[in-house]
Amino acid sequence: MHAITTTGLTKHYGPIRALDALDITVREGEIFGFLGPNGAGKSTTIRLLLGFLRPTSGEGRVLGLDSVRDSVAIRARIGYLPGGVALYDSLTGEEILDYLGELSGRPPVRRKELCDRLELLPQTLRRLVRDYSRGMRQKIGIVQALQHEPELAILDEPSEGLDPLMQRAFYDILDVLKNEGRTIFFSSHVLSEVERVCDRVAIVRRGRLVAVEEIAALLARRMRKVDMRLAGTPPRLEDVPGVLNIMIADGRLTCQVEGDIRPFLAAIVDAPIVDLTIEPAHLEDAFLELYKEAGR
Amino acid sequence: MNGPLFRHSVRMQRVKLIVVSTALAIWGFLLPVIYAKFGSQVRAVFDTGLFPAEFAEFGGGDLFSLAGSVAFGLIHPIAIILTSVFSVGYAASAVAGERQRGTLEVALSRPVSRRVFYLTLLVANFCFVAINVGSLLAGSVAGSAFAGVIDQLQLRNVPLLWLNAILLFGSFAAVGLAASVSFDRLPPALGVTLGYVVLMYFLDVLGSLWPDARFLQPYSLFHYLQAKSVLTGTFAAFDAAILTGVIAAAMGWALYVFPRRDLGAPG
Repeated sequence: MHAITTTGLTKHYGPIRALDALDITVREGEIFGFLGPNGAGKSTTIRLLLGFLRPTSGEGRVLGLDSVRDSVAIRARIGYLPGGVALYDSLTGEEILDYLGELSGRPPVRRKELCDRLELLPQTLRRLVRDYSRGMRQKIGIVQALQHEPELAILDEPSEGLDPLMQRAFYDILDVLKNEGRTIFFSSHVLSEVERVCDRVAIVRRGRLVAVEEIAALLARRMRKVDMRLAGTPPRLEDVPGVLNIMIADGRLTCQVEGDIRPFLAAIVDAPIVDLTIEPAHLEDAFLELYKEAGR
Repeated sequence: MNGPLFRHSVRMQRVKLIVVSTALAIWGFLLPVIYAKFGSQVRAVFDTGLFPAEFAEFGGGDLFSLAGSVAFGLIHPIAIILTSVFSVGYAASAVAGERQRGTLEVALSRPVSRRVFYLTLLVANFCFVAINVGSLLAGSVAGSAFAGVIDQLQLRNVPLLWLNAILLFGSFAAVGLAASVSFDRLPPALGVTLGYVVLMYFLDVLGSLWPDARFLQPYSLFHYLQAKSVLTGTFAAFDAAILTGVIAAAMGWALYVFPRRDLGAPG
């Protein structure tokens, strides 16, 4: 069974197409990144899956249940962190976690572990939320979404407002959940974070799906930039598979390498190289390229 | 009905509830005392014909009988404003306010259906209204005892007046909550509810002060709380039925609209 399946999921607000015929499948036990800039349709998708919005057409299924008819049953099995989470300012962090835990109807078995990892001390939890910084609110948001051990966590921009140390702590939490076989649907526009934590990624643009790829496969297809300084005759790279845009000038060779890098390495093994730089492929480049392609 | 949501609603409103109920109890206490002290003088002033006779029975209440003074206390602007803290303010903000702040989606991401969410808030709102009205009437009973006129009050009719008043202010709460589930932001929900209550009040007061406008009174819900009559032993089932009908209509609207409407991202 898939954790999430959408089939032609569409949401229009009058003439505005917030989401257009989205088809994605999230497998059980994976961390699935949902990537796109603001306004691409990420939050609309999540709200459709949670039953906050009714689809114009198509359907969404979460844990095998229909997102419209079985919305309450779905929400009994998931944890949700909204983007820019809002909390009750007049309550303490502890009171909010207690209240939302009670509403979930499941014991908050994971709360202590999560609070420890995110450095939410008991005295901090006893303070009113109105005195919290943005990062502390986000931590409470993460704890409320995961404290009851949901089968599926839907997290909308989860690391927003967290400092780098806490981001790392949060990624560690995701690693633990993944090792336990839990599914995480992760919306973000931070490419480095998606690259760091996700198994697969769907990229959306203006409400339409641009691509769904394994992160590793996406990176493997990306261009690496190569810059080498030479002390003699440059190697012949014209016929090497995957090598493009070769430029030689003043004892310096630059090119781009796409896909498998081994043929390139074999071709330069006897070259008189003084210095060599190979820039790693980043998801950002892949993302921008896919976006350019989709925009054409 | 959802227990955690109900307890949360009470916890969030408890301070306001105590303050408003105390103020209403004090207000309710004052009216019988004023009647006992100054009732005969007020009667004498009106007997001179200085003021039109209609002014003597403002909104169905007066200050020269105990039942009339308790009724006067219930429909006086001070009581209306105080009870409106919950029957208008809380009702209008219960959903639209949470929606505007963004806290609604955190709560609704739990396994609580929108119908249960709405019904729980409605029950909580009726409890707040019942406590408010109960405080006012308890204050009036205490004031009557303090002023030594308790023997003029038919105590067995006080619970009926309490129920009738709950239905009146509860109908405003039901309308407010129906407006609250219909809007994404607080100002329109509050505006609709407040405008509705002010219009109702205006129609009733205008009809009670101006004989030519008396025909307007049946269009006001305040007309269906005849507190003085109820206290003197005439409880009109028709009045209760009208108020119940308004509550049922508002509930029907909310139960139809709220589960079906889109809840987009908070602005």
